[in-house]
Amino acid sequence: MSATPPVTPGRSYTCNWCGAVSDGTSLSCPSCGATINVKEIVTPTGWIEMPGRKDMAKLQIGKSSCQIEGLYVPAADFNLAPEDGVYFAHHVLLWKENSVNITMMSMKGAWKRAFAGMPIFMTQAKGPGHIAFSRDLPGELLALPLQPGQAVDVREHFLLVATDQVDYGWTNTNIWFNTRNGDETETHYPLGMYLDRFSASRMPGLLLLHASGNVFVRQLAPGQSILIKPTALIFKDPTVSMQLHFEHPHSGWNLWMSYIQRYLWLRVTGPGRIAIQSAFEPVEDNGQTITNHSPATQQQW
Amino acid sequence: MVQPAQNEAVERLKCNWCQGMNLKTALSCQFCGAPLDLKDVVSESGWREAPRLKDMTEFHFFNSTCQVEGEIVPVAEINLAQGDGIYFEHHVMLWKDPTVPMTVLQLPGGMKRVLAGMPFIISVAQGPGRVAFSRDATGELVVLPLHPGMELDVREHAFLLASANITYSFERIKGLRNILFGGHGMYMDRFVTANQSGLLLLHGYGNVFERMLKPGESILVEPGAFLYKDSSVQMNVQMQQLTTGLFGGSAMSLAQVIGPGRVGIQSMYVHHATE
Repeated sequence: MSATPPVTPGRSYTCNWCGAVSDGTSLSCPSCGATINVKEIVTPTGWIEMPGRKDMAKLQIGKSSCQIEGLYVPAADFNLAPEDGVYFAHHVLLWKENSVNITMMSMKGAWKRAFAGMPIFMTQAKGPGHIAFSRDLPGELLALPLQPGQAVDVREHFLLVATDQVDYGWTNTNIWFNTRNGDETETHYPLGMYLDRFSASRMPGLLLLHASGNVFVRQLAPGQSILIKPTALIFKDPTVSMQLHFEHPHSGWNLWMSYIQRYLWLRVTGPGRIAIQSAFEPVEDNGQTITNHSPATQQQW
Repeated sequence: MVQPAQNEAVERLKCNWCQGMNLKTALSCQFCGAPLDLKDVVSESGWREAPRLKDMTEFHFFNSTCQVEGEIVPVAEINLAQGDGIYFEHHVMLWKDPTVPMTVLQLPGGMKRVLAGMPFIISVAQGPGRVAFSRDATGELVVLPLHPGMELDVREHAFLLASANITYSFERIKGLRNILFGGHGMYMDRFVTANQSGLLLLHGYGNVFERMLKPGESILVEPGAFLYKDSSVQMNVQMQQLTTGLFGGSAMSLAQVIGPGRVGIQSMYVHHATE
């Protein structure tokens, strides 16, 4: 990581990560916590590493603030002002002060969400007081400030916490394939059935995600496409389209388990951002013959 | 064990983590390995990060040394002097010199420990020789030199090793609700020093934070995040009822810890399903 010349106090600074403009007097962006005096780390292929974040970096959200603590499994420690609130899946709560009131937030489409294995309840917390969140895997914390009119699609179970100003909905992934074993047909959803959709309508909000391992982001040009492992996807802009891609490596002989002879990919096509995590689960594939699938491309080598 | 001198403050540096006194030129504490050239990292809410031990930091206990190797899943390599000993759960042993003799610690309440899922066999290594320890997940080594007369309660299976002069017992968690919903099991390990200092090493998953609670001050903690506490700190389960009209809701159990004393938590908690 190469250092840029120090930022002169009094001059405004635009954060490379979230685009927020600050006065440049702090070492980190007050909107997302990214360290402000370092250059982006970009691979030759165009993947941008998550910006470095100094331990104890502080984000300001209206009258409330959030401090990011620790490096291996970072914790997000919110200091909520009265009337300010956040929501979260309840198993990510690390600790809280007695003064913070927590209640249940019901979700639209609960039956569909339950059927899809998504959380049907969100827990919400109201200030004043401190409340902290973390997950149970080593990785990085992504701060995504959302401006009014901005939305992002997030793979399920990545949400750590969002401020009350962020609307929470969901959208169908339409990524699936069927396999048949005898008379039994099984449907597979490599991305899950739904993606969480977070958006800000009238007020800016903050979305915090936790990903496993390291996080890389890429901006895809219109029509540009790339193949990624489905389970590596963290989030994408709603403008990014997705479909399955089956790749069959060349082989001079057939093996009895056909999955050895196919790779399952997710084709993402710009315009827009995508983010991936370096520690991802294996893609579920039972190796049986695929009988039907969502729109897909294929490559036979 | 080398005793920290209390009356040489002018020429010596006091470690903020363990209060040990060090030579002014030292870069890390000789008793716990904490960097002496870095400020404490404390959040605005009052949680202090456990000192991040620099790779290959070495510190001393009795005539033996401990070197901390690696940073993601750190290893504690102990160079045991003749006559010194340590005890540990056998599955945390990474490697050892073949010549290091091994015995087993005699534990009271064997059946209770088996029923509670606590380690039934605690192994003991005696010097001279080298033996190294690590756990199975990303985290931090927490070095806790125990001064004479201290009692520390530790989440079961969280301790990495302890010097042989520390008394090892267990404390039954009081109250059925605490056992069922507390997420700590039925017992906590209790480490006690009499009139001699000792060394206790824990491995916390993720990052480790410590907070000093004043008398009567309380905070609610995810039960799976609890790592250690002074025995003066009380711990009870508090159920948080979360209801909605349609589904009847759910309940969340949190551990209420009440001062006075230290409490330590880990950010990569062991998750316990709630009701």
